Amino acid sequence: MLSSSPTSFAHPFLSSSPPLSPLSPQSRAARISPPLVSASCSYTCAEDSPRLHQIPRRLSTATASLYEILEVPHGATSQDIKSAYRRLARICHPDVAGTDRTNSVSSADEFMKIHAAYCTLSDPEKRSVYDRRMLRRSRPLTVGTSGLGSYVGRNWETDQCW
Amino acid sequence: MAEQEYTVASDSENTGEEKSSSSPPPSLPEIAVGIDIGTSQCSIAVWNGSQVNILRNTRNQKLIKSFVTFKDEVPSGGVTNQLSHDQEMLTGASIFNMKRLIGRVDTDPVVHAAKNLPFMVQTLDIGVRPFIAALVNNAWRSTTPEEVLAIFLVELRLMAETSLKRAVRNVVLTVPVSFSRFQLTRIERACAMAGLHVLRLMPEPTAIALLYAQQQQMTSHDNMGSGSERLAVIFNMGAGYCDVAVTATAGGVSQIKSLAGNAIGGEDILQNMMRHIAPQPQEASSSSTAALRVATQDAIHKLSSEDNAQIEVGDKISKVLDRSEFEEVNEEVFKECERLVTQCLRDARVEGCDIDDVIMVGGCSCIPRVREVVKKVCKKDEVYGGVNALEGAVRGAALEGAVTSGIHDPFGSLDLLTIQATALAVGVRGNGNRFVTVIPRNTMVPARKDLFFTTVNDGQKEALVVVYEGEGGESVEENHLLGYFKIVGIPEAGRGVPEINVCMDIDASNALRVFAAVLMPGCSSPVVPVVEVRMPTVDDGHGWCAQALNAKFGSALDLVTLQRKM
Repeated sequence: MLSSSPTSFAHPFLSSSPPLSPLSPQSRAARISPPLVSASCSYTCAEDSPRLHQIPRRLSTATASLYEILEVPHGATSQDIKSAYRRLARICHPDVAGTDRTNSVSSADEFMKIHAAYCTLSDPEKRSVYDRRMLRRSRPLTVGTSGLGSYVGRNWETDQCW
Repeated sequence: MAEQEYTVASDSENTGEEKSSSSPPPSLPEIAVGIDIGTSQCSIAVWNGSQVNILRNTRNQKLIKSFVTFKDEVPSGGVTNQLSHDQEMLTGASIFNMKRLIGRVDTDPVVHAAKNLPFMVQTLDIGVRPFIAALVNNAWRSTTPEEVLAIFLVELRLMAETSLKRAVRNVVLTVPVSFSRFQLTRIERACAMAGLHVLRLMPEPTAIALLYAQQQQMTSHDNMGSGSERLAVIFNMGAGYCDVAVTATAGGVSQIKSLAGNAIGGEDILQNMMRHIAPQPQEASSSSTAALRVATQDAIHKLSSEDNAQIEVGDKISKVLDRSEFEEVNEEVFKECERLVTQCLRDARVEGCDIDDVIMVGGCSCIPRVREVVKKVCKKDEVYGGVNALEGAVRGAALEGAVTSGIHDPFGSLDLLTIQATALAVGVRGNGNRFVTVIPRNTMVPARKDLFFTTVNDGQKEALVVVYEGEGGESVEENHLLGYFKIVGIPEAGRGVPEINVCMDIDASNALRVFAAVLMPGCSSPVVPVVEVRMPTVDDGHGWCAQALNAKFGSALDLVTLQRKM
């Protein structure tokens, strides 16, 4: 199968702050902050591999809001959000973004982020909660669903240039 | 064909690497073929550069009966072997219904139902694989479902290679929704034995979803991306399994919202009818049973279009069956179909009135009562007519084969994607004998989720991570055991102090990896190296493993979910 090469061992547990499950919004934000620094680096180093040229260089998710991840304006309609999600899926889903190990891992991570953003923004209730939280904070939040803690944490490892 | 080409790698061999005779030049991506291995019929198809082409055997058949006969020195399967009449498959020399037997242990009710078949299915009811044998020259010759499937797949591969004039190695196969990961490894094993490399194992209705996405995209090419989403229910019922999916489709992207499935199908209907017609049990491999099976099958087919059917078997049985009688006898089967569709709609959080299309495929979708039930639940008067009931799955698999092989179509016919969802939940044993879900059913794939656990005993230095998969039943017994491993080196501490993080990762090719790390309060990195285990690790689906672990360790190495104060 395509995955499981021992050289690309990556573990999901190095996220720093207290691991909580389920996480309160505050702790979630705190937990993801350290990995974000390296998250942006992944795109630059992953771009060395030829297949990834097909994936347009996307916004670094380090500072991106969910709207920026989906590449839609804040006032986007739910129809816009659905279209944007599908358009990005056609580019970033591991099935289309490449089949070798390196890219399938990074595109899987990328796609999970897009999907998480979509899950929040396509649900009117979750979206309004998110919008309110964004207004209250100076810094936009990136994470919308539970279970993402380890996923972001894992990026911290996968995203190193090995 | 040369004789030695029929040989199959031994069952203990895990990879088909050395078996592939010639690989394609590395510059050209090999287009993976799509295979629909049905309980009763198989087909194989490939993207030919502009459309999907279903391959035919030398007798010009697109749908090939799934069976292998062990009559002579060399076993022969349905691809090359022409039966003069249907009863010839029922002498005990042929093994069929492999898909209902593969990866199941001898306590499984589906295996027990197979004991009515003419070949030998022997069970000791202790949770090991059943003993399966074919009658050859009045002797029982043992085999395994994997071996039978591999022999059949080799024939299919050779047929495809002859037809395509190239080596065939990469395949996309369709599988039932209800298959456990252990069963999927057995399918992969059979493929490896036949020299095939599995790119994807697609739940059957998701293959149909991809085909539907392509059709929708073709009919509405101009408004692509406008987001006009169509909700479809896909109902697929063949001889062995019934599967349902709800999918949202727009712009060539089909997102699977929910999946449901069970091992119920035409074989159950057939056995119900045989019992109804001839209640007294008969020798399974006798010629009268074979004649009854063939006659009943014919009558069931006839009842799909007519109100009654005549059954004559020898001079003993002469009966007219009418459709209402047929429906009464199989009431339970139809109820289960209804339950699966209802559950799938509920899991997708959609109402029947939201559904745009109902797609029905598989042999049993021709049964009027099945159509009625599905249409009723989905509140639809019509069934979508664009998908061929018997060819849809293999066409979808061939499309997926082209998409995952990285083939680009200049006309955009391959700008397709199925976003898969998990058919079964995965989790670990914790909180006593409970199944603690880590990744729930119907989670988008790729997926990654984690949970925190802690120890149950003071000074507990080791913990057992026992991984299960299932529909999410509360106790572990209701789920399939996938494997287990031990975490060692937990620092000595009171119970409830160490934090054990269990993370599960399912990648786009559906491979499941489980990570476990030990964390201590106030320390941000794991105190011992993280353990990564590819699941499943159980190698024969041994039903006794869980009991053995219990006998050996009791609750000494147990885990409970970590309750934290906010």
